[in-house]
Amino acid sequence: MNAGSYPASPRADFLGALAWIAFGALIVVMSWQMDRFAAQGATPHTYPGLWPGLVGGMLAALGGILALRSLGRARSAGWQAGESDDTEIVAPSRFALGAGLFFVYALLLVGRGLPFWLGTALFVTAFVFLFQRAQRIADGRAARGIVVALVCGGATAAAVTVVFEQLFLVRLP
Amino acid sequence: MFDGLIAFGHSLASFMDPMSIGLILLSTLVGVIIGALPGLTATMGVALMTTMTIKMPSGQALLVLICTYVGAIYGGSRSAILLNIPGTPASAAACIDGHQLAKQGLAGRAMGIATTGSVLGTLIGMFFLALFTPVLGNLALKFGAYEFFWLALFGVIIAGTLTGNDPLKGWIAGLIGIFTACIGQESIYAYDRFTFGDRNLAGGLQLVPALVGAFGFAELLATVREKPVPVKLNPFDSVIPKLRDVTQYWRTILRSGVIGTFMGILPGVGEDVAAWSSYAAARRVSKEKEKFGKGSIDGLMAAETGDNACVPGAVIPVLTLAIPGSAPAAVLMAAMLIHGVRPGPMIMIEAPTFVYDVVAMMLFATLGILLYGLTLTNLLIKVLMVPKSIIIPIIFVLCVVGSYAISQRLFDVYVMLGFGVLGYVLRRMKYPVAPLVLGMVLGDLMEKGFRRGLVLSDGALTPFFTRPISAVIWITIVLVIAIKIPFVQRMIATRFGRRPQAGGA
Repeated sequence: MNAGSYPASPRADFLGALAWIAFGALIVVMSWQMDRFAAQGATPHTYPGLWPGLVGGMLAALGGILALRSLGRARSAGWQAGESDDTEIVAPSRFALGAGLFFVYALLLVGRGLPFWLGTALFVTAFVFLFQRAQRIADGRAARGIVVALVCGGATAAAVTVVFEQLFLVRLP
Repeated sequence: MFDGLIAFGHSLASFMDPMSIGLILLSTLVGVIIGALPGLTATMGVALMTTMTIKMPSGQALLVLICTYVGAIYGGSRSAILLNIPGTPASAAACIDGHQLAKQGLAGRAMGIATTGSVLGTLIGMFFLALFTPVLGNLALKFGAYEFFWLALFGVIIAGTLTGNDPLKGWIAGLIGIFTACIGQESIYAYDRFTFGDRNLAGGLQLVPALVGAFGFAELLATVREKPVPVKLNPFDSVIPKLRDVTQYWRTILRSGVIGTFMGILPGVGEDVAAWSSYAAARRVSKEKEKFGKGSIDGLMAAETGDNACVPGAVIPVLTLAIPGSAPAAVLMAAMLIHGVRPGPMIMIEAPTFVYDVVAMMLFATLGILLYGLTLTNLLIKVLMVPKSIIIPIIFVLCVVGSYAISQRLFDVYVMLGFGVLGYVLRRMKYPVAPLVLGMVLGDLMEKGFRRGLVLSDGALTPFFTRPISAVIWITIVLVIAIKIPFVQRMIATRFGRRPQAGGA
């Protein structure tokens, strides 16, 4: 079974519903506070905030229905109904490592003065090395893992830089 | 009739140069590989390729994108058959019988059937694309602001209803998409909405970086969370399709082709629903019902014909109404706008030959998947064996640089990251992402239709409900919503003696 195929629990749905209600209400308030161009003779149906206000209101209303539904489900089956133990197929530590590397690359290595090719080579090398490290050590081939990671990093950085700069004429960050 | 054929002939001839043929071969291959790799979807592939074709002439860029789209929907069947993992959501139905055949040592035959179904499905869809687009284009000329408002709303509602297990969550995802389309300057007073003084937001959110995030980065986040699974392949026989499979299952092919095309025409529904609907229809009428789920050739043929027929079907509303029939078609529409092609009711007047260009592109893409279906089995198997730990960082680099390349500003990279996180959270909370995309794409059209309609009627809502085409669409919307309400389902069950469906709103 795929990790994404477990149903959401009433608790998760309820918390999500509260977030939608709050977000929808915030949109309504911000839409209400928008300029109405009274000096230019604007009528209510041309107010800039009319449409987003309706969208926000609908979002809050659907959030309310979702909240009521999850309360009903929680009463009949419990707040954690549908939550399953998926520790056999998912690894939170891998997620934290992967997400961390993604954000470090996109926010810190790109467009902050480091040459694009160098940042890309560092990111890909680190990603490949760290995600293959456990298996490589178990296989007794840690040194080969470093070489593979370096080759992947170097090749990706070179290919992406050449293709985007020379072929697509993009000035990379 | 003959004008159309002549225009189609011209379109075919226009792509007969070495550069175009090279692009067809390359982009179809890229599409097949993207589709075959679990975790990389057709939408992600088309979005990433959009970022790489920005500098190309529009004809070549759209050729690349259509070949990628067709290739990716076909490619998903490879991993479905060989690994029991759908390469794209469209191939989930193909897993059921395709992998069963593979376990029986018939993986080659299953891949041959997938190739046959995909090629014939695309050809059937192409036939309807060429036939219906001019007719629908002329009909669409009668649409005004009121009709476009309802049609755009219908697209989001139907996508929310059919693309997930929970319509309520689908509609919420659609509203989030509609809201994101509100960000930036509105059209009447050029008033900045939800920009917080940031001039990057004044022009609104760029669609392609947002889609790359919602479909690309979100998929990568989901993939890194999963523990790696060793790839196990069954031995396989010849992948050459058999003529007998076509003659024996011609009814399934025709039926699934029509169902797939119709599902494609429905705004936002997409290839996965087309495949499941075709599969369900085939099982209902099959003489070999007991084989379904145990390696039914009928079932596999239906699923693969249906999902590929959906591709040309999904392009029909893009061209005629500027309303995408699926999530990848939404990206394709965004790419058309970037390249200066204005899809919509005026296309048959402004660029009548463009429709035949698209049909010709589909035909070349079909020939591409036929070629690769017959020849590339071993290469694709090698690609499937490449560890995800190598593929994931490369795809992420492409997500980043592709988002940046469109306007060459880092802000779009941050938009991609933001939508990636949003897409990931929505997936974890079991919200479908396709309605979000439809909302983002159709939100602007919906608001313009709503406000223009109100201006035309001086604030009166009556024309929204009384004009004949508007009335048909809003009544359909009400019915679609009503049949998902548990109370109405119970009422129908009492009246007609049927059990209510699960997953009601």
